[in-house]
Amino acid sequence: MTGSWTGRAFWAIAGWALLSASAFAAAPPADSFFETTVRPFLARSCVSCHGGEKPKGNLRLDGTTWDLTQADARERWFAVVERLRDGEMPPPESPQPPEAEIRALLDGLAPRLADAEAAARAAQGRVVLRRLNRTEYENTIRDLLGIEIPLKDQLPQDGSADGFDNAAAAHHTSSFLMEKYLEAADVALNATISNRPQPPPVTAKRYSMKDVHPVRSTTENVYRFLDDGEVVCFCSSEWHNVWVSGFYPSDAGKYRFRISASAFQSPDKPLTFRVTTTGSRLTGTSGLVGYFDAPPDRPTVFEFERQMEPKTTISMLPYGLAHANTVKQVGGETWEGPGLAIQYVEVEGPLHETWPPESHRRLLGELPQENFPIYNARDRVEVVSSRPEADAERILTAFLRRAFRRPVGDADVAPFVNIVRTKLDDGYTFEPALRAALKGALIAPDFLFLIEQPGELDDFALASRLSYFLWSTMPDDELFALAEAGTLKRPDVLREQVERMLADPKAKAFTENFVGQWLGLREIDATEPSHLLYPEFDHLLKVSMIREAELFFEEVLRHDLSLTNFVDSEFTLLNGRLAKHYDIPGVEGWEFRKTALPPDSHRGGVLTMAGVLKVTANGTSTSPVMRGAWVLDRILGTPPAPPPDSVGSIDPDIRGATTIREQLAKHRAVESCGVCHRQIDPPGFALESFDCIGGWRDHYRVTGSGETVVIDGRRMPYHKGKPVDPSDVTPDGARFENVDQYKQLLLRDRPQLARALTAKLITYATGRAPRTADREAVEAIVAAIEPNDYGLRSLIHEIVRSELFRYK
Amino acid sequence: MALHRRTFLRAAGVGLALPLLDALAPRRARADATASVPRRMVCINTPLGLHPDFFFPATAGRDYELSPYLEVLQEFRDDFTVISGLSHPDVGPSHDSNQSFLTAAPHPERRAGFRNSISLDQFAAEHLYGQTRFATLPLTCEGTTLSWTRSGAPVPADAWPSSVFARLFLEGRPDEVEAQARRLADGRSILDALREQARTMERTLGAADREKLDEYFTSIRELEQRLAQAEAWSKQPKPQVDAKPPTNIQNSADLVGKTRLWFDLMHLALQTDSTRLITLQLLGTSSVPPISGVNQGHHDLSHHGKDPTKIAQLKNLELEKMKTLRDFLTQLRNTREAGETLLDRTMVFFSSNLGDASKHSVKNMPVLLAGGGFRHGQHLAFDENSNPPLCNLFVSMLQRMGIEADRFGSSTGTLTGLESRG
Repeated sequence: MTGSWTGRAFWAIAGWALLSASAFAAAPPADSFFETTVRPFLARSCVSCHGGEKPKGNLRLDGTTWDLTQADARERWFAVVERLRDGEMPPPESPQPPEAEIRALLDGLAPRLADAEAAARAAQGRVVLRRLNRTEYENTIRDLLGIEIPLKDQLPQDGSADGFDNAAAAHHTSSFLMEKYLEAADVALNATISNRPQPPPVTAKRYSMKDVHPVRSTTENVYRFLDDGEVVCFCSSEWHNVWVSGFYPSDAGKYRFRISASAFQSPDKPLTFRVTTTGSRLTGTSGLVGYFDAPPDRPTVFEFERQMEPKTTISMLPYGLAHANTVKQVGGETWEGPGLAIQYVEVEGPLHETWPPESHRRLLGELPQENFPIYNARDRVEVVSSRPEADAERILTAFLRRAFRRPVGDADVAPFVNIVRTKLDDGYTFEPALRAALKGALIAPDFLFLIEQPGELDDFALASRLSYFLWSTMPDDELFALAEAGTLKRPDVLREQVERMLADPKAKAFTENFVGQWLGLREIDATEPSHLLYPEFDHLLKVSMIREAELFFEEVLRHDLSLTNFVDSEFTLLNGRLAKHYDIPGVEGWEFRKTALPPDSHRGGVLTMAGVLKVTANGTSTSPVMRGAWVLDRILGTPPAPPPDSVGSIDPDIRGATTIREQLAKHRAVESCGVCHRQIDPPGFALESFDCIGGWRDHYRVTGSGETVVIDGRRMPYHKGKPVDPSDVTPDGARFENVDQYKQLLLRDRPQLARALTAKLITYATGRAPRTADREAVEAIVAAIEPNDYGLRSLIHEIVRSELFRYK
Repeated sequence: MALHRRTFLRAAGVGLALPLLDALAPRRARADATASVPRRMVCINTPLGLHPDFFFPATAGRDYELSPYLEVLQEFRDDFTVISGLSHPDVGPSHDSNQSFLTAAPHPERRAGFRNSISLDQFAAEHLYGQTRFATLPLTCEGTTLSWTRSGAPVPADAWPSSVFARLFLEGRPDEVEAQARRLADGRSILDALREQARTMERTLGAADREKLDEYFTSIRELEQRLAQAEAWSKQPKPQVDAKPPTNIQNSADLVGKTRLWFDLMHLALQTDSTRLITLQLLGTSSVPPISGVNQGHHDLSHHGKDPTKIAQLKNLELEKMKTLRDFLTQLRNTREAGETLLDRTMVFFSSNLGDASKHSVKNMPVLLAGGGFRHGQHLAFDENSNPPLCNLFVSMLQRMGIEADRFGSSTGTLTGLESRG
C-alpha cells in the first residue's frame, strides 16, 4: 500500500487530467525565478514525458506559465513540489538531476506557492459559495416553516463533485431551477398558511381487507376469507400487495395507522410483512414504512403515525411466502401453507393539535382571519391586518432572520416590505401581498446559498456550516442563540454542540447523506440482479443491506470506535434476512442487532458488506476493476486515474467459458495498462469471493453449461461455473490468498485509512475536497486522533475544530 | 431579425432595461410574416442502447439490406437515414454518457470536474425564441433529462403526460387561470426586487463566489423574460384538440406504454405548433417490462453477457420499441401542413448514448434520422475508429432548422453524405 503522501498526489493528479492546457495560458506576472530556474529545470528533466499533446499522467509542463493567482495552476505546482520532494519524480529509470538543483528549485517554489495560496485564501477562502442541494432545501423548509412536505422530487437532481452532491463546483443555477424554486415556495407556503376556518374533519375508520384492491378485484384464488372481515394472504407476489384502497385522503396530514395481524398456519413461527406507502416508488428505502413480525395465531396491533400526502394510502405484503401461481393451483380456501392474517386496518386523522396549525401561528402570529370566498371554497379565510405595512415588516423581519440564518437589518428587510407595498398598491389584500414577499425570500440568494465571507467564519456562518454538516438543515434555536451570544466559536462550546447535534434525531441525515454517498449506497437500484443468477434476491434483502451499513456507521460513531473498523471489524449489525444471506446462525426477524461475527464469516468492515458489494457490481457480473477502483477511492483515498480514451472495455461473458481474471490477465500484460491495473486489480480480485448481491461464492454462477445446483431440494436456474481465485499480489509485493488476508494488508497503514476518511468528511462538511495545500492541516487531524485509536467521533470533533472547517 | 437570447443576455447588464422585452414578445403574426417553412426537431434517446447486431445494416449505401430492427420501419425506408460509426469524441464508456447525449460535453464518466454545456434543443431554442408557446418541451419516461442550459444546469424534463397535456391544451377553471396570472405577476415583482440586490451582494465576494452569484442573477433575468413570454401567451387561447387527456401509466416499467403515450402527445404538440423542439428520454430501468416473452429486467437484459436467452428477450423488447417509433412516424406522415407532411418538416433523431450497452461502450452509437426533408433512404457508414463527431450531424440538423450555425459541441463541419431535399 502507499504509505506516504504519494497517494494524495496520485489523487490530485487524477483531478488535473480534466484541466485543459489552456488554463495555463493566462499572462504570467514577471518573475525571473521562473525563467532562470524553473523553465530550464522542466526542460531538462520533465517535459520529455510531461510535454506535447499526450503528456504522461495528463500533466503537461511545457509552455506552462507562472500565474499563481490561478487555483488550478497552484494545485499543479504543488504536485510538482510534492513529487520532487518525495523523490518520486523523475522516475528511477530516468536520468536524475543533481540534488542541489532540486533543492534550489524547491527552495524557490515552495515559499512562492505558499504565499500565493495564503493570498488567495485571504481574498476568496478555500471553498466556493454553496447552494442548498435539494435534500437540504427540503429539510430547511421543514425546519423554517414547521411543515413536513416532500419537495425534493419537484427539484432537478443536483450534480455532484468529489463524490458528494453538496459540492459547490457541481451546482449550477438556471432559470428553470429558479422557476422550480418559485413553484416549491408556493407549495410550501400553502402548507404553512391555513385558509380553512376549521381543521379538516378527523375521521377514524376500520377497514376490512376483503373490500380493498387487489383482494376484491383479483381473479386469482389466493386469499382466504374468515369471519368478521379477516383476510389471509398466502402469497408474496408483488401484484398481491394489499392496498388499503378505501383510505384515500383528500387532505395531507399526519395519520395514525393500526394494523391488526397474525401469522396463520405458521406454528411457532412469526411471519414478516412489509408496509409501504403507495404513490412513491420503492427505490432505496424510500416509500418503506417498515417490516413487521406478526406472531403466530395471536392477533397483534402494529401502530404507527405517518405523514401522508393527499390521495395516497399504505399497502402490505407478506414476506417469504409462495408464488401466486403456486397458491392458485390449490386455491386460497384449501391452501395449507403459512399466510398473513389481517383482521383489520384502522386509520385515524388527519391529526391536528391546534388550529390554525402551529406553522400558521409561528409565521403569522395571532392576526385575525376573515372570510374571502373563492369559486370552489366558499368558507375560505385569509389573515387580515389593520396596519398592513407594519405587520408585514414585523413578520418579515422575524422570518428573514431565520430564513437567511443571520441577523438582518433594515436594508435586508426593505426590498421585501417593498414587494408587499407594491402588491397592496396593485389592489391585493394583505395575505396575498405578504405571500408574494415570503415567496421572494424563499428564492433569495441569502436563503438558497450558504453565504460566507473569506477568513474565519463568523458565528452565524459557523452555525450554518455545523448544521448542514451534521443535520443537512438550518441551525436550530440553540445554535442561533449561541451565535447571537458570540460563544459558538469557543472550543468547549463547539465540542458540546457537536455532541448535542450527533445525539439529535436529525443526525440521521448525516448518516444517510454521508454514508449513502461515501459508500455509494444511493446507487442500490442502479441495477436489478438477474432473476436467473440470483433468484434469492428480494426487496427485504435490499433494504437490509442499506440498513446494515447505516447502522454500522452509527455504531462506530456513537462509541468512538476506530475507523479501522470500516476495513475489518469483529461485529456487524444484522437482521434475520441478512444473517441468512451471510450464513450466520441465530438471528431471526426484521429487527437489527449487534452481532459478533464468527471467525470464518469473511465479513466485518464495509468492504464485505452486501450493500457495498452490490453497488460495485451490476446485475449479472462483478468486475474487479470497478471494485478495485472503489476500494482505492473510498477506502484508501487514492482513486486511480481515469482510463485512457483509447482503452477498450471488457466484454462481459456470463456463459462461463472464461472468467474475468482470464480476460483481465491479457489487459495487465500490456505495460501501459499494467501500470494502473497493478494498483486497481488486487482489491478487486480479493472481493471476487463475493457475488453481485454480496453472497459468498467459491464458484461463479453461470447460465451456460455446468454442474446442476440444488438448494433445499430446489434446482436453481443457474449452473456451477469455474472456481473463484481471490488471490493476488499488492503493488508493493505482498501476496494474499483471500479477502481476509487482504484486509489485514490494508490495516498495515492505519494513518492512510484515516487520511482517506478525513478527506471524504472534509469534502462533505465544507463542500470542497482538501487540496494539496491542505496537507498539513489534514495531517494534524490524523495525528490528533491517533491516540484515540482513530476513533470516528474524535475525528468529527477534530474536523470541526480545524481551520479547514472554521474558515471559509 | 433574429434577436438571439444569448446575444441579449451577454449584452444585458445588471440594470436590465425592460423595454427590450417588447422586441422579444411572442407574436404569432410576426412568425407568420417571416413566412419561412416551420422546421421542427425531435431528439429521442433510448438509454440502454440497441443491440448493434440487430440494428446496423450489414452493407452501406442506398441499396443496403434492412437489419432486423430496421425491417420494422420498412415502409419508411425512403424517409430515414441510418448512420453507423458515429460517436462523441471525448465521452467515455459509462451510463453517464447520457448527460452528454445532446451536448457532447467531455468526460461525464469521470464525474469529478464534469461540467455540462448547452444541449442541441436549447441551442436551437435560443434562435427560435418566442415563435411558439413553449420554446422547448423536454420530456422523460424516467426522470432524467436530455436538455441542459448554457451554464450546464439541467432543464427539468416532464415525466407526466397528463400535466403536459393540461399545460398545452387545457384552459383551466376561472380561479385557476386567475391564480396562474397572479403567480406570473408575483413572480415578476419578486424577480425584479431580487435583481436589485445584485450590485450590493456581488461587491463583497471573491471571484469564484461572484461567478456563482452571476449565474444566479442571470437565471433571474432569464426567468423574468420567460415569465413575460408566458404572460403574453396566456392572453392567447390555447389550441383545441379532440384528443382526450392522457392517463398516466402507473407501472414504472411499462416502457412501451409510456413511450406511446408520449409519442401521441408529441404528435399533438407538433401538429398544433405548440413547440418545435422536443427531447424525449425513453425508459431504461432495472425492472421487468410488461412485454410478452420478456421476464427479466431491461437493464439486466442489456448486460446480456452474450447469453443467447437474454439476447433473444432483448430482441423481443427492442422490436417493440422500434414499433412505437414506426407508429410515431406514421402519425407525423399522416398529418399534413401546407401541402407537406408533418414528417417532412420534422427531424426525428433517434439514437442511444450507448453503442454497445453490454460493455457500456459509447463508440458506434446507433443513429437514425427520419424526416425533416433530407434526401434519405441510405445507410451512411463511417469507420468507428476514425469517424466524424456526432456533432457534425447536429450542425446539419441546426442548419436544416434554418439556424445559421456552423459549429456545435465538438463538430468539425456538417455531416458528409447527408443532403437536404430542396
